[in-house]
Amino acid sequence: MPPRPSSTSSDVLRGTLDLLILKALSLQPMHGWAIAQRLEQLSRDALRVGQGSLYPALQRLEEKGWVDSEWRATEQGRRAKYYELTRAGRRALGDEVASWHGYVDMVEAILRST
Amino acid sequence: MTNLLNRWRKRLRALVHTSAVDRELDEELAFHLDMEAQKYEREGFTPENARRKARLAFGAPRQYKAETRDARWLSWMPGVMMDLRLGGRMLRKYPGLTIVGGLAMAFGIWFGTLTFEMVRLVVFPSLTLPGGDRIVQLRLWDTEANQAEPRALHDYMIWRQSARSIDDIGAFTDATRNVFADDGEARPVATAELTASAFRIASQKPLIGRVLSEADEAPGAPPVVVIGYDLWRNRFSSRQDIVGRSIRIGSGFATVVGVMPEGFAFPVAHELWMPFKPNVADQSPREGPAITVFGRLAPGVSIDAARAELVSLGKRETAEFPQTHAHLLPQVKPYARLFMDPKPQDMWLMLSIPLFAVMLLGLVCSNVALLMFARAATRESELVVRSALGASRRRIVAQLFAEALVLGGLAAAVGLAAANFAIEQWGKRYLVENMGTLPFWYDPHISATTVLYALGLTVLGAAIAGVLPGMKATKGLGTRLRNGTAGAGLRFGGIWTAVIIAQVAITAAFPVVAFIEQRELWRAEAYDVGFPAERYLAVAVAMDAGPNGATADTARNAKYATALEEMRRRLLDEPGVSGVTFVDRLPRTEHHYRLAEVEDPSRAAASSGAESLTVSRDSLRWVSEATIDPGYFDVLESPLLAGRAFNSGDVSSDAPVLIVDEVFVKQVLHGRNAIGQRVRFIAPSTSKAKSPEAPSPWYEIVGVAKDLGITSVTSRNRDPGIYLPADLGRSGPMYMAVHVKGDPLSFVPRVRAVAAAVDPALRLAELQRLNEVSNGVLWFLRLWIRITLGLTAMALLLSLAGIYAVMSFTVARRTREIGIRVALGASARAMVMSIFRKPLTQVSVGVALGSVLAGLVMLTEMGGGTISATGIGLMLVYGLVILGVCLLACVVPTRRALSVEPMEALRVE
Repeated sequence: MPPRPSSTSSDVLRGTLDLLILKALSLQPMHGWAIAQRLEQLSRDALRVGQGSLYPALQRLEEKGWVDSEWRATEQGRRAKYYELTRAGRRALGDEVASWHGYVDMVEAILRST
Repeated sequence: MTNLLNRWRKRLRALVHTSAVDRELDEELAFHLDMEAQKYEREGFTPENARRKARLAFGAPRQYKAETRDARWLSWMPGVMMDLRLGGRMLRKYPGLTIVGGLAMAFGIWFGTLTFEMVRLVVFPSLTLPGGDRIVQLRLWDTEANQAEPRALHDYMIWRQSARSIDDIGAFTDATRNVFADDGEARPVATAELTASAFRIASQKPLIGRVLSEADEAPGAPPVVVIGYDLWRNRFSSRQDIVGRSIRIGSGFATVVGVMPEGFAFPVAHELWMPFKPNVADQSPREGPAITVFGRLAPGVSIDAARAELVSLGKRETAEFPQTHAHLLPQVKPYARLFMDPKPQDMWLMLSIPLFAVMLLGLVCSNVALLMFARAATRESELVVRSALGASRRRIVAQLFAEALVLGGLAAAVGLAAANFAIEQWGKRYLVENMGTLPFWYDPHISATTVLYALGLTVLGAAIAGVLPGMKATKGLGTRLRNGTAGAGLRFGGIWTAVIIAQVAITAAFPVVAFIEQRELWRAEAYDVGFPAERYLAVAVAMDAGPNGATADTARNAKYATALEEMRRRLLDEPGVSGVTFVDRLPRTEHHYRLAEVEDPSRAAASSGAESLTVSRDSLRWVSEATIDPGYFDVLESPLLAGRAFNSGDVSSDAPVLIVDEVFVKQVLHGRNAIGQRVRFIAPSTSKAKSPEAPSPWYEIVGVAKDLGITSVTSRNRDPGIYLPADLGRSGPMYMAVHVKGDPLSFVPRVRAVAAAVDPALRLAELQRLNEVSNGVLWFLRLWIRITLGLTAMALLLSLAGIYAVMSFTVARRTREIGIRVALGASARAMVMSIFRKPLTQVSVGVALGSVLAGLVMLTEMGGGTISATGIGLMLVYGLVILGVCLLACVVPTRRALSVEPMEALRVE
């Protein structure tokens, strides 16, 4: 099993969780558990999203109007709440990605110079 | 858009259906847990282990739920909701406080809303037309006479040609015209003769047909008219073929070219619009009819720029016409301020009214605060326990605020509904009585702004009524908790005592004011005019001026005189009519006043018959004057007490005569024989610098009449009256009094028909029974009485509430002491006395103060006389009643005190 993310990376995660959720949802609508699985899978198990931060984050995004939610049946026929990116969310994802790259470049530049 | 709607729907749902949304969150988290467990099962764990592992990984769902809830929109709302629900519960639990406090706050909000709406109308009128704030009035101001100069036709022409900063400059004159309906009946209609640009300014399309055009204003253009919706519906039964029909207006005809939609009344309150066709002769400077000029500020031009342009145009005029224009200054004002334009210094006075209302609300809510505080004191142990359980002071204050907010919300609903009622019932009529006609943009109603204002008042009131007592009751709660001395820390300050005493004083004094008003009303209602006025029909008879008032005055006067005589002749032929007469002012209404001097025989002898021009000011008396036609006293069936009536020769006689009434004989002549005495009139001296105008010639008194109500109904004393013979036609518009058998009002249609047959230009208005002419004034008096009584009731309610609060607080604070004293054998009577002492003192001082106040009011109102024994007796009785009623407020707390069980009281600690 890969090592659990250290505390440093979890701080970074908190700031960028919204961005990662938006990214995960950009492929297709999915429910909360699937989002967590998808992020785990995309990060090659490096990232475990705790429910404690996932659901408040989803609530926050919905309140911002970036995701919309709907109760639907899963493939197994269970009722689940599916989240979906809205148009505003898609725009926000673009902005967030750009801003993230900008941030990373800046940090990188500083790290290289010293 | 749908996205946005969806979001709001969800937000509201989360707010309202909190539990359903919480259940969904539970379901979502459970689903997550299940999926996690299934994953572990797939990895080879037994179902039980998989579940346990999933739960371990999942952590504490309660915390997630709390965090998720906090991320919701207005997540603090449910807490507030709970506070509000609790507040509602408290209000149900203490219905007395709810009713008294709610009524008091409703009164404060009602008064605040009402004054706000009325002041808003006066201080910030806005024109209810598209782009109404850009519509302006242009006028000439005479800086020497300090008044507007309405004869502005000359300047209007120049403005229209030269002004670049104002578009669509137009003008109107105001007239009342007789309009004949299909049934041949004539009614006076408010008519504007106005330029076609008015319809562009008002941006209003006609309902049917067209509006007036520039071509209609050309000399020789066929006469056309546009009519208003109500006129079309009521007088022409909404006929669709009205356009193109010729209707009779006064003595002429005009073709209807259009009907305006409902509610259109530009320029003021008009129902009929005719083209503006000024005479060329009237265009010399400061000549012609009175006109009102209006226009719309050109795009991008400020009103100041327009003013500057007009002033520079005005300077040119002043240079060219120094004789007429030396003191004329052109002005540009917002059109909405055409009628009421308070000066800056009055503006503050106007704005002080809502400020006063806010202060009144503050006072009212302070009383409610007193009640809340008293109740908080009785609940003190609860507060202490809550505080001990960890409720912060802020939390407890917030709870009291929420309670006051719920109360305030209820009060605001009641207050707004009552304000709406008052505006509908009284506000509109008040404005109409004050302004004559109500311009279309003065539409008093509860607007959204007013509701917002009322909500602001509510929050303010709740803050005073809830936060203040909350702060006071929770002050030093911790110390009290430690010392275990509940109640000892709370105290009523001297300020409350002062407030209560003041309120009781007002309660005691106000009914005297109401009584004085009521007496005025009784006196006005009982006003005796000396003849059975209810059997007479009173009609104001006027005659349309010719086109734009251009008809020569003499010809018009002669026509008017002939018409009046002809009408009298025809009416006398009608069955049931026993008399018709004319007078310039009706009995009971305000008359013209003149300064009269009675000839002093001794002085006249000394100057041996020469007309003395020196006037001794001491002998002058103000007298009421009426101009009557010779048959006046006969028709009113009130024969002269002495001398003779007027005859037809008196009008043109070289030796002018007059008739005085009995009040004149009594007050001016001190009972001397009036016949043969001489009276003349002096122009009141306006300025000391200028020499007084020469007095009128001497008039000989030829008759003495009864007192026939020549004084206004509101006046306290009857004024001495004089009657002068009317020169019909030249004495101005007259009222006609018709003596009829049966109800005078049933005779109205006949009078209309006769007037229409005699001369279509005759306009009849104010058709009413002669005894009802002062009903408007009486309505005002009644309104004032109602307001005074309402204020009295409010002051009484607040006094009672205050006394109750103090009493109940005192009892709560002294529970222990009472218990000990009862245990030590104090009698119930001694206990009652000791509890009663404080409120008794307060109420007594209040009643005494109020009585002094009332006495002062009565003394000044009665003109320095003395108060009768009955008056003093009544005041004493009323004072005792107030004392009794106020002490009733002590009953409940006293009973509570007496039911204190000694053991219980001791155990409280």
